[in-house]
Amino acid sequence: MTEKTISGTPRKKPLGGELVIPVCSLAFTLYYFSTIIDSPWTAQVSAFFVGAILIALSLTFVVKTLYLVKTDRANFGLNDLIGRTDITSGRIWVFLLTLGYVVLVDLGGFTLTTFVFLFSSMLILNKGRRPGFIALMAAGFALGGYGLFIVALETRFPSGPFEKLMQSVM
Amino acid sequence: MELPLDLFGSLFLHTLSFWWVIIPTIFLGLLVGAIPGFSAANTIIILLPLTLAMEIETGLIFMVTLYCASRMGAGIPAILVNIPGTAGAAATPLDGYPMTKAGRGQEALAMSFVASALGGLLTTVIALAAMPLLAEVSYYMHSVEMIIIMLFGISLIASIAARDTLKGLIAGFLGLMIGAIGTDVVYATPRGTMGFLELYDGVPLIPALVGLFAVSEAFLVVDQKLILTDEGVAVSHSSGWGPTIEGTKIALKRWWHITWNSIIGLIIGIIPGAGASIASFVAYQQSRTYSKTPELYGTGHPEGLIAPESANNGVTAGTLIPLLILGIPGGATAAVMLVVMQYQGVTLGPSLFDLRPELGYGVFMAMAVTYFLMIFTILPLSRYMSRVTLIRTTYLSPMIIAFTLVGSFVPREYMFDMALGLVFGVIGYIARKTGYHVAAILIGIILGPLLETFFLRALKMSDGDIMVLFSSNLGNILWVALFVTFIAPMVLDRFFNRDKKTP
Repeated sequence: MTEKTISGTPRKKPLGGELVIPVCSLAFTLYYFSTIIDSPWTAQVSAFFVGAILIALSLTFVVKTLYLVKTDRANFGLNDLIGRTDITSGRIWVFLLTLGYVVLVDLGGFTLTTFVFLFSSMLILNKGRRPGFIALMAAGFALGGYGLFIVALETRFPSGPFEKLMQSVM
Repeated sequence: MELPLDLFGSLFLHTLSFWWVIIPTIFLGLLVGAIPGFSAANTIIILLPLTLAMEIETGLIFMVTLYCASRMGAGIPAILVNIPGTAGAAATPLDGYPMTKAGRGQEALAMSFVASALGGLLTTVIALAAMPLLAEVSYYMHSVEMIIIMLFGISLIASIAARDTLKGLIAGFLGLMIGAIGTDVVYATPRGTMGFLELYDGVPLIPALVGLFAVSEAFLVVDQKLILTDEGVAVSHSSGWGPTIEGTKIALKRWWHITWNSIIGLIIGIIPGAGASIASFVAYQQSRTYSKTPELYGTGHPEGLIAPESANNGVTAGTLIPLLILGIPGGATAAVMLVVMQYQGVTLGPSLFDLRPELGYGVFMAMAVTYFLMIFTILPLSRYMSRVTLIRTTYLSPMIIAFTLVGSFVPREYMFDMALGLVFGVIGYIARKTGYHVAAILIGIILGPLLETFFLRALKMSDGDIMVLFSSNLGNILWVALFVTFIAPMVLDRFFNRDKKTP
């Protein structure tokens, strides 16, 4: 469980990240139980069965982690989940852009929002290099997606200024 | 219903003359199968005006080809970028993606294509030969038997958990709990929906699939140059046609494995309500259980890739048997085909094979010809398709995120589903970073609601008597088979005196 650092002192394993799934599982299961407490047995039977096992498993994991922390072999650090590389690699910014994409695609439409998302996230991940190439690539894929999904397959993707303009032209 | 063997030869050649419909449709099917959200059923619905305008024979060949090709297409992104195109390919990346990371993507694709085509071809021939007998399978499969079949699939969670028991089980049971979101099947009581009306029908599969596999993977690889390992890059750059030939040889050498797993797919496909996802999980689990090297599964083992691919292509023939003989569609695509056939005035049932044998048998012949042509058209492409892995992740990741999230919008056309895809992406990212298996979560989400439905149905029919689970002969045989599945690894382990160390 404990690795050695360069100076030879034992390195504690960060287990904070590993606790996220069990803790969220516990919280969700308890919330789920609260929604079925007054329901007929048909709504309860399998959920109580599965939920009880999930609670037992999650609590076992939490207790095991607490024991490791107490015996100085681990800590609650989140290094295994979040670190400096998430900022330096651009991961965190791409996540925020994805969030923006999901929120804005209904307003901006598929083609325009996809272009903006692809262009900005590729530019961030490439650390600002080759903006012209990235713009061309983003435009190509956004327009290709428009041609395939909206024009050819007639999928009802979110419509925005670009789609409305093309509809009036065609 | 006697088999008109003399008709089959002429029907095969006649169907082959429709190559001009089949070959372009193969490529369309591969494309729609590879994009999460665009299933064959959706595409047939979208192209319904075109299909209805065609001659009945051409329309049927078009639909069958699209169905088979999309099934094969779903495995391509699963192998190359860890994104199953449909839930039926959810077990494919377990061993396909590790092969790609090691620079064996081309070999894995070749293996998958051969296993899919041979599995599909073989089950089509079996379906043609034993159709009346196979049609009766659906009569004997009631809720109790379905519960046991689901348990076969769910037991895969235990196998995944073998590497880290506690984490594997937490992931699997979390999946089952998420799968229980939505209204209950008897009184429609909303459960765990957090107030979202969009979750009343349960958690939609495509956003879960997209998020857990595609979005999480895209976030994970952004700090790498390529998705391949360093050794994988070296192998990939030095490859010509060799890996395609090698992959083909590996698959052909495992012909018995393909046969066995495609028959599992065929039988599960016949059962209405079951489908490719169940078939592929059950096949993977069975393959692992009876393998001499179960510890290699999940690390890029050929048999771990061949099993789900041959099974999910075996399902295609299976779903059409109850459709043609009983008029009961075995899956979503078969249901859409039913609508088209009824519109064209085709009466389904045993009489179809006497009155219009060219249509009844023609459907399976179209399937056989499609798989036959697919081997020659798709196999050479494996060399070029595998080049996707050489695209830098700085370009690949944003494209995966954008197009798969939009794909999660397609089946229901709710903006909510795109947000749900992102939520599952975050869950998948946290799970991968901290050592929880996303496949275990997905198995729970896919099979959990089905298991609950059949369980409640069985209990309702028996007035709450739990002993109903042991009330049928076939069910009891399946219980024994399930029990054997659990103890077989231990017995085989002693027999082969295997080294139990997991990698």
